[in-house]
Amino acid sequence: MIPFNYNLRNLTVRATTTASAAFGMALVVFVVAAVLMLNNGINKTLGRTSDPRGAVVIRKGSDNELQSTIDEPNVGLVMAAPGVAHTADGAPEGVGELLVVILLDKIGTDGFSNVQVRGVPDSVLKFRSQVQVTAGRAPQPGTDEVLVGRGIRGRFKGVELGQTFELKKNRPVNVVGVFEDGGSSSESEIWADLNTVRTAFGREGLVSSVRVHLESPTKFDGFKASIESNRQLGLEAQRESEYYEKQSQGLSIFITALGFGIAFFFFVGAVIGAAITMLASVANRQREIGTLRALGFSRRSIIVSFLLESVLLALAGGGFGALASLALGFVKFSMMNFQSWAEIVIAFEPNFQSIGVAIVVACAMGVIGGLWPAIRAARMSPVEAMRA
Amino acid sequence: MTVGGIGMRNIWRNKTRTTLTVIGGAVAVLFFIWLRTILWAWNVGVEYSAKDRLATRHKVSLIMPVPKRYVDNIRQLPGIKQTTWANWFGGKDPKRPDEFFATLAVDPESFFQVYPEMSVPAADLATWQADRRGVILGDVLARKLGLKVGDKYTLAGTIFAGDWEFNVDGIYIATQKSVDRSQLIFHWAYLNERLPERGKDLVGWVISRIDNPSRSAELTVAVDKLFDEKDVQTTTMSERSMNNSFMAAFSAILTALDFISIVILLIMMLILGNTIAMGVRERTREYGVLRALGFSPGHVATFVIGEALAIGMLAGGLGCALSYPIVQLGMGRYLEENLGSFFPYFRVSASTALVAALLSVLLGVVSAIIPARQASKLTIVDALRRVG
Repeated sequence: MIPFNYNLRNLTVRATTTASAAFGMALVVFVVAAVLMLNNGINKTLGRTSDPRGAVVIRKGSDNELQSTIDEPNVGLVMAAPGVAHTADGAPEGVGELLVVILLDKIGTDGFSNVQVRGVPDSVLKFRSQVQVTAGRAPQPGTDEVLVGRGIRGRFKGVELGQTFELKKNRPVNVVGVFEDGGSSSESEIWADLNTVRTAFGREGLVSSVRVHLESPTKFDGFKASIESNRQLGLEAQRESEYYEKQSQGLSIFITALGFGIAFFFFVGAVIGAAITMLASVANRQREIGTLRALGFSRRSIIVSFLLESVLLALAGGGFGALASLALGFVKFSMMNFQSWAEIVIAFEPNFQSIGVAIVVACAMGVIGGLWPAIRAARMSPVEAMRA
Repeated sequence: MTVGGIGMRNIWRNKTRTTLTVIGGAVAVLFFIWLRTILWAWNVGVEYSAKDRLATRHKVSLIMPVPKRYVDNIRQLPGIKQTTWANWFGGKDPKRPDEFFATLAVDPESFFQVYPEMSVPAADLATWQADRRGVILGDVLARKLGLKVGDKYTLAGTIFAGDWEFNVDGIYIATQKSVDRSQLIFHWAYLNERLPERGKDLVGWVISRIDNPSRSAELTVAVDKLFDEKDVQTTTMSERSMNNSFMAAFSAILTALDFISIVILLIMMLILGNTIAMGVRERTREYGVLRALGFSPGHVATFVIGEALAIGMLAGGLGCALSYPIVQLGMGRYLEENLGSFFPYFRVSASTALVAALLSVLLGVVSAIIPARQASKLTIVDALRRVG
């Protein structure tokens, strides 16, 4: 084996060339990691709160809560289905909620955007126990007081603690609290009293969805069967995780396709950059390679050595890119989800997987970019090479 | 041999490296064209939006309809030439539930007058207008669903539950780039008659054409004023500002793409610059010889820059040539067919290709400036003494 130190020294001798090739690799790894982190962020935002015991019931044929309507009497039927958990005082663990979207002025632009408003019953904070009111207080039941999610607080006109906005003309609602829901998409929602939303939108006696907690995740099949066998209800039950996954599909595919398109081009560019660098370093070191061969190093160890050098180069750049991508963890932006028409706030979510994949991509770039130059180096005959 | 000729000949000194550099540059050019085309295609909707069309809808929420009598109220306003209306139906193909396309319930008499850029053969239009269950669809959608005039077709409603049967009466084609060719259009009356009493006689939005596009700002205000004191208030916007606000919801992505397309150019410069710098380093002694023969430092710089110029031109030309089959025929066709509502027209514009090619040449020259300066500044003795 050729000593590892030899490769290390080679990279440092031509610092500028090494740095510019490594910089290209760093960009690739940065982009790959960013795409993965973003995808992870979308999945988390739209599915983080999913409770394994949770189930969502919407009207059959609807894609989401916004399209679905369920008559009030049927809410009771859903909650009475087998498998639904009960609280200590014997009430079923479930809520019927009404989801609508409203148009609000977006602060900082002269445009406006759609925001989801969820009409929730009094028991919602008990039902969604992971939700915490982090500023202000919980609203009084049956009033025009609303909670706003942490994600959209201050992003729209009137959506800030102590301010008001209109659900309907002359029907202002007061923001009395801000809530946090573990980073999920509900943090991009406004929660108002169920009846306030119903009257403002002329949806008396209706909800969009019924959410329940089951006694255990294994009870889901029985629950689903009992809901769907009643054809008159015309309802459909899904696991919460499954429902959220469907909601994020479009956005997730879009970002992934775009992101990987970009990453692919960067990848090709960086592989070519690495190949140019390594080829030059082979050409420059012809005599050295000849000497190494004459000293008795085998062709294989020359290939391994050059590949190692190229992977080293890629890892140096890749490590740097991966580190830089971690800074994206602080970045948040808002975007429209095609499926709900409403804006949600998405964050880049770093995790081991995204960094790991990015590093693997860096190694692959090093191997692909370095393979040809390495073979070229190994093919040289010692005599020819030393004569050059 | 001319001075410029020597620069050109130098390109073939290291064929592998030049080839790799040209490919690398071409990939960057291709990538740049791809990103710019996405941005441009995204903007097509705004650029081609009609200046003489206004849309009126519910003030608070896009999911809330307005009373149908509003159509007549708006029509009577001076300055309004024509009005029509539409409802978002939200239907999907029961056999392909994942396929998304727009389904609209419209007024058969006036809809295509207000949208003249959607063109239907006169005979088919007349059949459709007389057929209550008739449907007209876009040519792209018709091809995808395998439908032709005379077929029967059933949609599943996501908002309005149930199966909806239609006769395919006609196929529209686009006479303008901004038209989504994947819409399905049927009679509003067919929808209305099947709705329960409380959902009847409501329309999703009202579209009006105005006499004088320069009056659009004052007319939007005048329309909203009509309904200011009524139960349901409205928001009226020109088609252009509506499209603009839709795009604003994706501004984060658009800004990112914009930024990335500039990063690409930097990477391209890096690759080109690296190659040129390597060439200069290898040939230092030759430059010394040339200088000793009486060539001026300016000549040496010209050789270097000429080489970079030629590589830039080759890369730009190759990238542009590749962009046509890859971006236009491959991606463009796929996007137009499958994501027609976002990208109704995805083609490489001549100006994008031209800008990309010019930038490639320009960046080639810019990246050669530093190596050229270094080469021309060398003293003859230093250059000759250098061991490369």
